[in-house]
Amino acid sequence: MRMRRIQGFWLSWLSYPCITLLIALMTAALRPLGSALDLVNIALIFLFPVLVSAVWWGLRPAVYAAFLAVLAFDFFFVPPTLSFSVADIRYLVSFAVYMAVASLTASLASRLKQQLRYSRQREAQTAALYSLSRQMSAITDLHALLDNVSREASRTMGAEVAIYLPDERSHLTLTHLSDLGSPWGKEESEKVIAKLAFDHGEAVGYGSDTLRNAQGYYLPLRTEDRVYGVLALNLKDRKFRFTSAQRQMLEALGGLAASAIARVKLAEEAKIAHLTAESERLRTAILDSVSHELRTPLAAIIGSATALTSGDDHLFNAEDRQELLVTIREGALRMNRLVMNLLSMAQLESGMLRLRKYWCDVEDLIGVALAQVKDFMQHRRLQVQLPPEPPMVLGDEVLLEQALVNVLSNAIKYSADHSEIGIAVSAHTDMLVIEVADRGIGLADGEYGRIFDKFYRAGAAKQVTGTGLGLAICKGIVELHDGTIAARRNEPQGTVITIRLPVHRPSGEALESERHDRQETELETDG
Amino acid sequence: MDEHDKRILIVDDEPQIRKLLRVTLQAYGFGIHEAATGEEGLKQASSIRPDLIVLDLGLPDLYGLEVLRRIREWSSAPIIVLTVKDREEDKIVALDSGADDYVTKPFGMGELVARIRVALRHAAHAVNEPVLSFGELTIDLVQRVVELKGVRIKLTPTEYDLLKILALSAGKVVTQRQLLQQVWGDQHGESDSHYLRVYIGHLRKKLEEDSTQPQLIVTEPGVGYRFRSRDS
Repeated sequence: MRMRRIQGFWLSWLSYPCITLLIALMTAALRPLGSALDLVNIALIFLFPVLVSAVWWGLRPAVYAAFLAVLAFDFFFVPPTLSFSVADIRYLVSFAVYMAVASLTASLASRLKQQLRYSRQREAQTAALYSLSRQMSAITDLHALLDNVSREASRTMGAEVAIYLPDERSHLTLTHLSDLGSPWGKEESEKVIAKLAFDHGEAVGYGSDTLRNAQGYYLPLRTEDRVYGVLALNLKDRKFRFTSAQRQMLEALGGLAASAIARVKLAEEAKIAHLTAESERLRTAILDSVSHELRTPLAAIIGSATALTSGDDHLFNAEDRQELLVTIREGALRMNRLVMNLLSMAQLESGMLRLRKYWCDVEDLIGVALAQVKDFMQHRRLQVQLPPEPPMVLGDEVLLEQALVNVLSNAIKYSADHSEIGIAVSAHTDMLVIEVADRGIGLADGEYGRIFDKFYRAGAAKQVTGTGLGLAICKGIVELHDGTIAARRNEPQGTVITIRLPVHRPSGEALESERHDRQETELETDG
Repeated sequence: MDEHDKRILIVDDEPQIRKLLRVTLQAYGFGIHEAATGEEGLKQASSIRPDLIVLDLGLPDLYGLEVLRRIREWSSAPIIVLTVKDREEDKIVALDSGADDYVTKPFGMGELVARIRVALRHAAHAVNEPVLSFGELTIDLVQRVVELKGVRIKLTPTEYDLLKILALSAGKVVTQRQLLQQVWGDQHGESDSHYLRVYIGHLRKKLEEDSTQPQLIVTEPGVGYRFRSRDS
């Protein structure tokens, strides 16, 4: 800033010798032609340096040029030459006319120049504000936003910037400083002035109506209905007043910052409101689901057991007894599944789960999962497609198997007996993809993303018992393994669940062993 | 096998579970003794000298594993531990510390009785027959020849060793570490678990009808493998 001011100062002083030199040169050039040219033409030519000075250096150098030109014209060209005395008195009128024309042109030219400069400045300011507002509308983090505002303010004003925002208890606190090393902004007196600006919603300090002798300028960041904070400028080292353009820029910045802060705050509030509503919904869903899923099997167990222990041995025949006992067993197994699901969910959510990572053979995982669901399969036809050498996955065998069991159980639960269930594994360079496809009842279009939410039950699934935990657990497990899970429609009907797991290449040692293994086989064949 | 004179010690702090085990195992003809704490379990184990011990790992006084280690210091009676589902670490530690098998709570009685029978049979006589036969599969330990439905199966030396170890403990779970140690010795590294999987996969392709639904070599997730003979 100071550099530019010094430069301006030199430039304006340098103009005077330049003008003098220019006129001297012109005079020297015109002098031999003096007799050939008419004096009127020479007078017109002498308007030229005036115009040039007005456009380049402004009004004052132009007036100086006009004055010098008249003198030169009088001395060298108006008879008697080489004298300031004027023979013909009419020349005095000419001089006056010349001066009037020169100063008028000069003032017009310099005003034009000023307007040009002014509009350039405005353009730069508008561009700066525009880019800032674009940046700010993209920012959702309050800290980054304040950082941007303070950087821009400190750049345009050439001063340190501090921003005060109210905390939860509405106490104004220093939230941001452009220069963290500086002691300015941290003192109590500055906070008191900032508080004044915050409470009144009006600018306070240097050059304003209140505390105009203060060293800082405190601008409230306000929208129409609320003050969101205070932007303070340290003007201690400043020797000049604000220009009106700077003041306007500052006010525009303040307004922009206020609306951006308002936007971020509103977004935060909306998020909290949404979370509260969501947790409320979840609580209701948990209670509904758990109480229903616990009570139904409990009722069956208690009913059957009390009937069997009622004491009358002749009440039930052997077949009835067996049926009641099977009811008890099924009820207990159902409760066991619920308890296991709830525990898994709680473990996943609490982050208590420690992932035990081992090499897992996907064929093995599928085998174990199939063995688990074998009893529910009934007559559903199973198609398993595996690549010849499926890559190994580094993961927790027990959890991955649980995820597969949950997906397979769903495929079985929501599809008719005798329908087909397909498991297709495909290996990509860095991904292992497991697809489980059923020909079951399928899902509505909007439900494909939601079925992985906790306690969400698809509309068509309401008739089938379940807690809405199975797929949420799958999602948790797969994401623990840095994988993804998604659902889509199966053609012509049913659902496809796709699990993608990252593939880690084993170390060279293990690959070495596989090569070794091939050699072993050859040896045996030879023997 | 005569089970009527076999004595089983049950060490579990839950009266309900003890009652269930007592009633059912007595119905199967076993003689039942009970202990509610680890200390009592240790005392009874030394005075009764049971043929088999069913030990709950979650005891209130002593950690179940501690009881297991102290019994193993002087007794080789088979021990079956009871655990809850998501404690694979405990299962592995228990098996590697000398437990013969495990059953996960909640369990079906059929499963527990099968495990008890396998463990008692293994304890009664170490397998010293030269030829093991499991339905259509025979393993000639002398000739190192494996036949399935009368057809000779070509196995690599490593595959053969794995099959032998699993078959000799037929019905019992073998942990990954036990397999690695017996096949590759003490020098096995972390990455070896990768090629253990590879070899098991190869064995299944050669022996199983459908390698995605294995019947012979069954994975115990997170723990190891179990060679399933018909009666286990």
